[in-house]
Amino acid sequence: MTVTTEPEALLSYLQKADGSATFSYAGYTVIGAVNGPIEVQRRDELPEEAAVDVIVRPAAGVGGTRERHLESLIQSTLRQIILVNNFPRTLIQVVLQVTVAPENDYANAKVAQANLNLPILPALLQTAVLSLLSAALPLRATLASTALAILPEHGDRRIISSPTGRQIEQSQSFHVFAFTSHDELILAESEGSFSMKEWDDALAAAQGTCYPPTTTGDTDVLMDDDKLVGSDLKHFTRSTMEQKTASDLYWK
Amino acid sequence: MAQQTERIFVLPGDQINPSVIPSHPKRPLKLGPGLRHIPPSELLPTVAGQLVTDYKKNSIWVEYNGGRYIPAVGDLVIGTVARSVVDYYYVTLSDYTSNAALPQLAFEMATKKTRPQLNPGALVYARVTLANRHMDPELECVSATSGKAEGLGPLNGGMLYDISLGMARRLLMRKSVEEGKVVVLEELGSAGLAFETAVGRNGKMWVNSESTKTVLLVGRAVQETDEKNLDAEQQKKLVRKLVKEMS
Amino acid sequence: MPREAEPSLNERAFVVQALQEGLRLDGRAFDQFRGLDLKFGDHYGVADVTLGKTRVLANVSAEVTAPYIDRPFDGIFTITTELSPMASPAFEVNRPTETEVLLSRLLEKTVRRSNALDTESLCLIAGQKCWSIRVDLHVLSHDGNLIDGSCLAVVAALRHFRRPDTSIEGETLTVYTPAEREPVPLSWLHSPFCITFSFYGEEGEIMLLDATLLEEQLRVSSCIISLNKHGEICQIAKLGGTPVEAVSLIQCASAALTKGKELSTLLDQKLAEDSKRRDKGGLLAELSAENER
Repeated sequence: MTVTTEPEALLSYLQKADGSATFSYAGYTVIGAVNGPIEVQRRDELPEEAAVDVIVRPAAGVGGTRERHLESLIQSTLRQIILVNNFPRTLIQVVLQVTVAPENDYANAKVAQANLNLPILPALLQTAVLSLLSAALPLRATLASTALAILPEHGDRRIISSPTGRQIEQSQSFHVFAFTSHDELILAESEGSFSMKEWDDALAAAQGTCYPPTTTGDTDVLMDDDKLVGSDLKHFTRSTMEQKTASDLYWK
Repeated sequence: MAQQTERIFVLPGDQINPSVIPSHPKRPLKLGPGLRHIPPSELLPTVAGQLVTDYKKNSIWVEYNGGRYIPAVGDLVIGTVARSVVDYYYVTLSDYTSNAALPQLAFEMATKKTRPQLNPGALVYARVTLANRHMDPELECVSATSGKAEGLGPLNGGMLYDISLGMARRLLMRKSVEEGKVVVLEELGSAGLAFETAVGRNGKMWVNSESTKTVLLVGRAVQETDEKNLDAEQQKKLVRKLVKEMS
Repeated sequence: MPREAEPSLNERAFVVQALQEGLRLDGRAFDQFRGLDLKFGDHYGVADVTLGKTRVLANVSAEVTAPYIDRPFDGIFTITTELSPMASPAFEVNRPTETEVLLSRLLEKTVRRSNALDTESLCLIAGQKCWSIRVDLHVLSHDGNLIDGSCLAVVAALRHFRRPDTSIEGETLTVYTPAEREPVPLSWLHSPFCITFSFYGEEGEIMLLDATLLEEQLRVSSCIISLNKHGEICQIAKLGGTPVEAVSLIQCASAALTKGKELSTLLDQKLAEDSKRRDKGGLLAELSAENER
C-alpha cells in the first residue's frame, strides 16, 4: 500500500502575504506564507544579515517541543539558501501551517503521532521553498527534500521512499534528506538503527528522487523526458514556478 | 525592446547559458533585478522568473511578479507620512517595513518658512534618492537638478489602491500600452471619464476625480485587470461593462 | 514589533464620503456579503471558509480524557483560536491581540455557551471517561469580518466531524478505529451564526454587513449578533464605539435573521453535497448498516 500521490501545489493564493504556497504530497498538506523583508524586533536583529523566523503550526493543538524541533531544523536549512546578506537588520518570516496529516486508519490519532517528528519534514521544507519563490526573495538555490524508510524484509532490507505511516512504524530506520539544486546535501536527519552502508544506500535513493543523476545543464530537454516527472521533485518545483511565471507575465 | 526569441525560464541558482548574455563591445553589462554576480564572471539568478535581455542597452534581468517592494534609487513611490520629526517626515512605503526619510525641505520652493505641513496619514508622491541594504531609504519630492516638483509632492483627496508590483511596473512604463499591454486607463479616458492617477513602484495607485463614482470605477478596473490577468481585449470589455453599470 | 499600517487620511475621507453617497469600494450593496465559499477537507472535521480575501480553516479533533471533577456528566469542548503571523505579521505567537481575544470570546459565547453541542452526550463513563472535542481555528488570511467567517467555519467543521465509535461493556471502554467501525457524528442541537454589523457616519446611521479590513478600520462602532435559523439569539455584543439608535439595532436583528437563514441553508447544502461525494456507490450506507448489527 503506497499513498505516494503526485505532488500538488498552488502558489500565491493568500493575497495578504508576500508569498504563499500550499503543497500536498504523500498524505500531507501544508500551507506556507512568507513575509519579508519586514521590520525586525530589536532583540532578534542581526547587524549583517536578515533574521529568518520559522513558525510551524500543527493542524490540531498548539505547537510543542515537536514543532520547535522542526522549526529549528527548517530555520537552519533555509538560512543556507536565502541570501540573508541582502537584507541586514530585517526579518524574513516563514509560517507553515499543517492542514492535513495522514490518518492511520488502524490506530487512533493522538497515540500514533506522539513520537514521530521527521516524516512531515520534507513536506514542510518543500512548502517553505515554494513560498519563498512565490515571495520572490533572493535565493542561492532551490532545494528538494524526501523521506525514506528502511524496512526489514525476509532477512534483507528494503528502502522505501515517501513511506506511509504504517511503513514508518514497521521500519528499522527512517531518514530525511534535502539537497540544493546544485546537488549539495543540505540536510540529513535519521532515526532508528542503521549501518553506514544502509545510510549510503538511502542517500543515493534520496538523490534519485530529488535530483535524478541526469545532466543538469539543459533543462528544456529534460522537460520532455516523461520519466517519473511526477515524483521528481526538482522538475515539479520547476514546472510549478514556470506556470506561475507564465501566468504572471502573460502580457509579455 | 528586447529581441526575445524564446522564453527562458530560470530558477534561483540556475546556470545561464553564456550565449544569452549580451556582450556589447564598448558598454559595460548592466545587471537588472533578480541576478547576482559572483566575481570574477559567474552570473546566477536569485529569483524564479523569465530571463530578459536587451541587447541595445547591453542589459540583462529577470522579469517576475510578486513579493514585497524593495526600494531602488530613482523609483517613484507613493508613501504615507507616519510621523514628523524636526527636519524629516518618516514615510511608510509598505506595511511592516521600516520607514523612509523625506527631508522637509525636499519639496519644490520649500524653505524653512514655506515648507509643506503634512499630518500623519498624508500621502506623498516621491522619488527614492537613497536605497541600500544598510540604511533606511530616503526620498525627495523635488528634482535635485531642476528644482521643480515634476509632478511629485503631497497627494490631496482621492483614493489609494493596492496593486501588484508587476502591475505598477507596467503602468509606469514609458509605453505602457505597447510594452505593458495595459489599455485600461486609456480606455477609461476615452470613455469620457475625467480622472488623474499616480502610480508608485511600491504597488500603490492613487486615483482622484471630481466624482466619487469615477474614482471607484477606475480603481476597480485596474485592480480587476491586475487580479484576473486580463489582456487588452478583455480590459476593453471590462471598461465597457463598468461604464455601463455606472450610468 | 511591526504594527498594522494605518489607512491614510485620503483613504479615510474617501471611504466615508463614498459611503455617504451609498457606494462601497468593491461595488457591493450595504447588506451584501463578499463571495463566500465553504469547503470540507478529505478528513472529517475540516472546514475551510473563504470570504473575499479572508480565509479561515477550522479543524476538529477528539480524544478520550477524564472529565472535570465538578462536571462528571459532561464532556469537554474547547475552541482554540490563535492568530498566527500568517494572517498578518502584526500577530505574534503567544501574545494575543485584542482581535484575537474578542474573536475567541465571541465564539465561546456563540457556540459553546449556547449549547450548540450537547456536551452530555460526550460523557462515556460518568466521572471517569469522556470525549474531549477540540476545535482549532486557523486564520490564514485576514481581510475583515473574521468573526462571521470563523463562526461559520467552526460550526461547519463540528457538524462535519465524526468521532470514533465506542462501546462500553461493564467497566471496559473500547474505542474503535475507523477501520473497525464507521465513526459517528456529534450530537448537535442547533447551528448558531454570527453576523457583524459595522456602523459609519456621525450617529452610526450607515450600516454595513461583511466589512473588509479597510472598512473595519474606519468604522465608528460595530455590533455582533449571534443567532440560529429559528431566530433564537445567542448573544449580542456592542462593545464601545459611537452610540447607535435602538431602532437600528432592531433593524440589525432582523437583517441578521435573514442572513443567518441564508448561511444555514448554505451550510446544509454543502454538508449534503459532501456526504454525497463521500458516499460513492452507497458504500457508506452498507458499512454503517453492518455496524448496527
